Amino acid sequence: MEAFKLMKELKSNLELEVHYLPKETGLSLIESTQENGNGVSAKCRDARVEDLLSLTNFFGYSTQTFVLAVNLLDRFLAMMKVQSKYLACISIGCLHIAVRVTEEECNVSSSHELIRISQSKFTISDLSRMEKIISEKLNFQFKAVTALTFLHLYHAIALSHTSNRKDVLNLDKLEAQLKACLCRIVFSKAKPSVLALSLLMLEIEALQSADLLEIFHRIQTHLKISKADLAHWRGLVNQCMREYSSPECAKPDNKKLVWIVSRRTAQNLHSSYRCIPELPTIPEGAWDESESEDSSEDLSSGEESLSSSLGSDAGGLYFPSNFRSRACRP
Amino acid sequence: MSAISAAEKVDGFTRKSVRKAQRQRVQGSSQFAVNSSRPAAPEISALPQLKDASSTEQHALFMQKLQQCCVIFDFYDTVTDLKYKETKRATLSELVDYVSTNRGVLVEPVYPEITTMVCTNIFRTLPPSENPDFDPEEDEPTLEASWPHMQLVYEFFLRFLENPDFQPSTAKRYIDQKFVLQLLELFDSEDPREREFLKTILHRIYGKFLGLRAFIRKQINNLFLRYLYETEHFNGVAEFLEILGSIINGFALPLKAEHKQFLMKILIPLHTAKGLALFHAQLAYCVVQFLEKDPTLTEVVVRGLLKFWPKTCSQKEVMFLGEMEEILDVIEPTQFKKIQEPLFKQISKCVASPHFQVAERALYFWNNEYILSLIEENNAKILPIMFGNLYRISKEHWNPTIVALVYNVLKTLMEMNSKLFDELTASYKSDRQREKKKEQEREELWRKLDELRLQETSAIQNNRHEMQFTYSNKNNNNNKLHDKDENTAAAITDRSESDTWAE
Repeated sequence: MEAFKLMKELKSNLELEVHYLPKETGLSLIESTQENGNGVSAKCRDARVEDLLSLTNFFGYSTQTFVLAVNLLDRFLAMMKVQSKYLACISIGCLHIAVRVTEEECNVSSSHELIRISQSKFTISDLSRMEKIISEKLNFQFKAVTALTFLHLYHAIALSHTSNRKDVLNLDKLEAQLKACLCRIVFSKAKPSVLALSLLMLEIEALQSADLLEIFHRIQTHLKISKADLAHWRGLVNQCMREYSSPECAKPDNKKLVWIVSRRTAQNLHSSYRCIPELPTIPEGAWDESESEDSSEDLSSGEESLSSSLGSDAGGLYFPSNFRSRACRP
Repeated sequence: MSAISAAEKVDGFTRKSVRKAQRQRVQGSSQFAVNSSRPAAPEISALPQLKDASSTEQHALFMQKLQQCCVIFDFYDTVTDLKYKETKRATLSELVDYVSTNRGVLVEPVYPEITTMVCTNIFRTLPPSENPDFDPEEDEPTLEASWPHMQLVYEFFLRFLENPDFQPSTAKRYIDQKFVLQLLELFDSEDPREREFLKTILHRIYGKFLGLRAFIRKQINNLFLRYLYETEHFNGVAEFLEILGSIINGFALPLKAEHKQFLMKILIPLHTAKGLALFHAQLAYCVVQFLEKDPTLTEVVVRGLLKFWPKTCSQKEVMFLGEMEEILDVIEPTQFKKIQEPLFKQISKCVASPHFQVAERALYFWNNEYILSLIEENNAKILPIMFGNLYRISKEHWNPTIVALVYNVLKTLMEMNSKLFDELTASYKSDRQREKKKEQEREELWRKLDELRLQETSAIQNNRHEMQFTYSNKNNNNNKLHDKDENTAAAITDRSESDTWAE
């Protein structure tokens, strides 16, 4: 019976999801915006979302927080034309709202900490004003139905059908993949139910589980998701996943991070060990030292004493006889 | 004459200048004992100026002046012999000019006179330190009392060595091993100006006297070893290392075995010296020079440093980290692969250090472009080593600057390899959860044990039969703490009502 309940929940969420979709025209506008202009471009938005992901990981927030933050951001950007200089404040604002909605109170970090860690230039009052604006524009509709909602539901359905193989579908892995997808604005255009299903199907195919495949084909028909739609999004997700998994790392090239260190450490950094020595280099001749008559004896004993181990026999060799006798002179 | 007027000037000392002279803690040249009977007051009479003499007389006059300067004056006593001290000072100054500006003055007979004069003036047994706890960063060094003369002697000797007419083949009869040995001993002087001169002089001698090079290297090694393993005291380590830096820079390839031994047996162990802060910059320079000469030495050097990594001295740890960054700046990628794992294990520990300077310095590695590129190339190996500690201290470190730096590092690593990062996050979280769960279970068990004991106590007081049953169950519990035994479970559930009552 649990499966039945889940299916009902699935259906009701399906009806709700349209309310939380960012406006498609708005998203297209962003995608077509040039990068050097005043407006928010796709690259800009993607870079910001990656920052949000870093912050989420750093503070240990749940996937739900991140997904909600991105949803709020996309919805806001799709309805308002904003200048790119405000994007930082807007994105942190969305994150902060999402954190307050989703996380337990004890885990909510302060605005001050958020601003400090993200190395943002705006103030706390800027942030709260922006949060108010965002909240008003989005009509305080924070309990969004997102791809994560569907992912959890799908996963629960899969579990209920295959009770003996509990850990076959790894939810953590799927969530990580979803987060990676959301860093690209193209996926914000997808219906959450379809996006989640695409992710799931890819994973099921990788696992080569025929049972699960069948289950989800049935779900797809039940939810009336078109084959073409699914195929389209699956293709894009597949490509995204390939880049995500590739051992080749993308060199971090977005804004330069600021490295603030304490004064003491900064002082020590500047005392370079590679100070140019005042003493000019003395080249070692290939022929030198072996032809001189005065030091030939000491030369050989010199080589010996260094190559022998430091220890019991060191005493005699390290202090040449003439030195010892000198030491006795007044 | 200038001598007299100078004497007149210093005749009427003000009280203040006397006090100041005493405060300067000048040390006496130990050629004079304070209370012993002095020889008759040394006198030197001013000789005619060299520039005034004819070319035939100049040579003889030069020799005379050199001999004259062999008279030593007692500077510990600041008021005696002022006239003669000034004469000598003027003479020395004149000699410095003479040997710097003129050609053809270095004829053979002059060499022994010069070396004798220099020997007489500078070679002495250094007195023991007046301040055994001398801290070079805080305290003023004890300066050489006879510096007014000694400085000129050193200056003179240096100009002599650098004179274009200087002939090492002639000089080597006088500047021999005995001379060099005494010179090396002087590096223990507390006066930094003296050491500065000695450094330059020894550098020139090493450069010009090929026959003395091996000897000099061996003696310096002896002094290092004595410093490191016997006395823990020597003031001239930094100066020696500076000279060695210029020597290492000039090594021919392939490197001789002797030099590699020097690196492993002396330079690396020198890192363990207590006074490392005084000469670390020079030491690090030497090490890096070696690696630039022969990159195959990288592995032994890095492993050596890791072996000697300071465990209780944070100031040293910061120095080691600085040196490691310098080494990484010049490292070859193939060499890097050999040492990356032990190295980053140590860096991971440093990053988690509660001493904020150590943590900062370690985190700052990620601001170095070249190091970053090396990490990137090998991120699959390095990320797992760093991850745990970084993630932990992002939550737990007391210092907000550190937390911000950790963010930078985590963000950089995240962007290098998102998938690996996510996997590590997931496994870290599940590990933590497992630990937490174990912790909770353990506490729960103890809580229940506690309550069982309470029950037992109250049962005894109430004289109930169940006492024995409880007691034997408790024994069961004590013996098998981690056992999910049914008996235990049953016993616990039996007590559950009383438990709630007890709470």
